[in-house]
Amino acid sequence: MDPSALAFLGAGLGAGLVALGTGLGIGRLAGPAMEASARQPEALGEIRTSMIIAAALIEGVALFGLVICIILAFK
Amino acid sequence: MTLRKVEILVFLALTLVIAVPARAVASVLEAPFQEADGHDAAQEADEHRQNAGAEHAAEEAELDVVHHNSDSIYLDFSPFAIVELPRIFLVRRADDSIGVDFFWSTHAAVEAGGYLALEQEGDHGGILDAQLEPASGEIIMDFSITKHLVFAWIVMLMLLAAFLPLAARYKKGIGRETAPKGKFHNMLEALIVFVRNDIVRPSIGAKADKYVPYLLTAFLFILTSNLLGLFPFAAAATSNLMVTATLAMLSFVYTMMAGTKDYWKHIFWPPGIPILVKPILIPVEILGIFTKPFALAIRLFANMTAGHLVILSLIGLIFSFTNLFGPVVGWGVVPISVAFSLFIFLLEILVAIIQAYVFTMLSALFIGMAAAEHDHHEESHDHAQASLATVEAAS
Repeated sequence: MDPSALAFLGAGLGAGLVALGTGLGIGRLAGPAMEASARQPEALGEIRTSMIIAAALIEGVALFGLVICIILAFK
Repeated sequence: MTLRKVEILVFLALTLVIAVPARAVASVLEAPFQEADGHDAAQEADEHRQNAGAEHAAEEAELDVVHHNSDSIYLDFSPFAIVELPRIFLVRRADDSIGVDFFWSTHAAVEAGGYLALEQEGDHGGILDAQLEPASGEIIMDFSITKHLVFAWIVMLMLLAAFLPLAARYKKGIGRETAPKGKFHNMLEALIVFVRNDIVRPSIGAKADKYVPYLLTAFLFILTSNLLGLFPFAAAATSNLMVTATLAMLSFVYTMMAGTKDYWKHIFWPPGIPILVKPILIPVEILGIFTKPFALAIRLFANMTAGHLVILSLIGLIFSFTNLFGPVVGWGVVPISVAFSLFIFLLEILVAIIQAYVFTMLSALFIGMAAAEHDHHEESHDHAQASLATVEAAS
């Protein structure tokens, strides 16, 4: 087997795992944020801001993983 | 008043985009890999040439999704036309002098002599996708105008065309002393006020208005180029990593400039933390300065590229099914494929707006974090207790 096939396999699996992890992370974040803003609509702005910060941090880590997958897939 | 700065910033951003051409960076990154498998290259080239005739017909019809999205040195209006863009090279000539070569198109560069087109494996645009090599000397840097740069310029011109007249109107007092007049003016003012009141002011606080010009420019540039990318034959400048990296770098510079003494103190000597934890935390904080703009750049780039890739892949399903099961199944897949890509397309419109919002919001937050004057921790503790006391007294 061509050894680079394993790199492609790794990239594909990695991308899937990245999506899984980020989905779980942002899901856990967004669900309670929705509940909180439904309970207290007047705090909507603040909740949304802090939700976006946290989501951005989670997404940042996911993007690092994704970059590694892209490097694996293209080289 | 602030539009002067807006123009300067857009110009600066684009100069940087030219200064760090994607192709030059890519060639630097690929160089070690090419050397590593250099011994096979000649052999592969031979095989490629032999197969080229047979594969050519198949490649004509092939839809290369990644290639379509990546930066190129021509504007693709096929099936109508392909517009070649000027090639500009900074070269070191054979006699060690440094000069600039300018050609109106890639074909002109090859036909004038002095440049050879090296076709690479996987290319199917002929000379247009080939890498140009000078017959003598070497290219120091490739300043060629690329597709994404052209679309960045188009966005810039659109913004200037929209906002210079608007600035003139505000100077005359329309909108300041009276209500804004006309649909166009109202529409743009709604955008500007949204960015200022809903994004910048809540995130930065007291010193917010100083940063409104930059963040508004970033927002409008990203929004316009994201939406422009959805037009047929057009491309999104923001689906180029170099463009998003430039924007993120500007945000980084603004964050650094906004940094107060407290901000730096919290990075290099975080207060209120046991001394043994500090060696762990300080590198993390320093790393954090750089990961923020990095994530900003990758996020925008990945979001803009992924959407286009998905749309094209869904359309590509039609061709895959035709190749696998024949034209009848191929036609059968058409409605499903078109429906799905339409859905993704609508999602893309949403993503275009959300990503512009997110980039501006996060830049504003980072600037706000750096610019915030922290209270000393004991004082803030007192504050908390004081406000708790007021709450208790009120209840």
